[in-house]
Amino acid sequence: MELISLKRVSLNSKILLLKELGYTSDGDFVLDLKGEKVIDKYADIPIRVNNMVIFPGSTIILDNNEFSIASYLEEFGDVFK
Amino acid sequence: MSSNNPLSDAVEGVTKGLLEWSKENVSAFIQKLKNKKLAFIEESKTIEIVREQYNSGERKFYKEYIENKQFLFLIELGLTLKKLESEKQKERLQNLREKILKKYGINGLHISEFVQNGILNRYIGILIDELSYAENPITQLKKDIEDTLQNIEKHIIFVQAYMKVSDIIKKSSIIVASNSPRIFIVSGVRPNAKLIQDSIEPLKNLLKEYSLERFSNGEKEILFFKRKLT
Repeated sequence: MELISLKRVSLNSKILLLKELGYTSDGDFVLDLKGEKVIDKYADIPIRVNNMVIFPGSTIILDNNEFSIASYLEEFGDVFK
Repeated sequence: MSSNNPLSDAVEGVTKGLLEWSKENVSAFIQKLKNKKLAFIEESKTIEIVREQYNSGERKFYKEYIENKQFLFLIELGLTLKKLESEKQKERLQNLREKILKKYGINGLHISEFVQNGILNRYIGILIDELSYAENPITQLKKDIEDTLQNIEKHIIFVQAYMKVSDIIKKSSIIVASNSPRIFIVSGVRPNAKLIQDSIEPLKNLLKEYSLERFSNGEKEILFFKRKLT
């Protein structure tokens, strides 16, 4: 699986990507279409646009931290081979 | 100049400043995302560190002997703590500790620290030494490991900065008298390692039915007290 780093991607491009996936942003946090902050399902914290991870399949957006990513691997296995 | 490939333009096309993606770029990305051929991440180092632990030989070893999925996950997080510690990534280390504590409480964090500090692998080594006395050694080893993780506070003291030598002795006395563990451990990292060194003689006097095996590397001090076989 290809991994694309969002580190050098503009905020506008990240928001465009989120909108195409059915989300939006206030420029800081990832929001759902009702304007509610999207919560990382493993770490139980709101996800910032400048620190997000987007995993494939039934799109999962998480905070970029070791706990959330390890939890994702526990649930779905190592899909990055 | 743009090519006919919106993906390569989007990823490689800009060498200075921030990448700007067109709607065409994003549509192409999303198609690959839906086909499970692509993922996005702010910092790819995070995935690299986690995958390295997930696929490590040490985790695979533990997976053979530990069936409890929560313990295995806490062990994997402990390996990640160890990696972050070795890379001196203090902020990420503290962030992960806090998340483990929030989700799994102090016992969960202690299981991860048990691995981070290199205690579990040495502990299993000591258990293996004693397996020759067991009727069914593999079953016994699995049971011993899971019992220890389940009741970790009955087997170990993690020495904290606020403790004094007298606190370590008092707490050790209570744990050993209440639980009579086969192996009792006192563990600390610098600057608490000095406290442990000062506790060795009083602990040896207290735990006369135990023999001491000491692991020390300057940064960490771990005392394994093994109950003598009678």
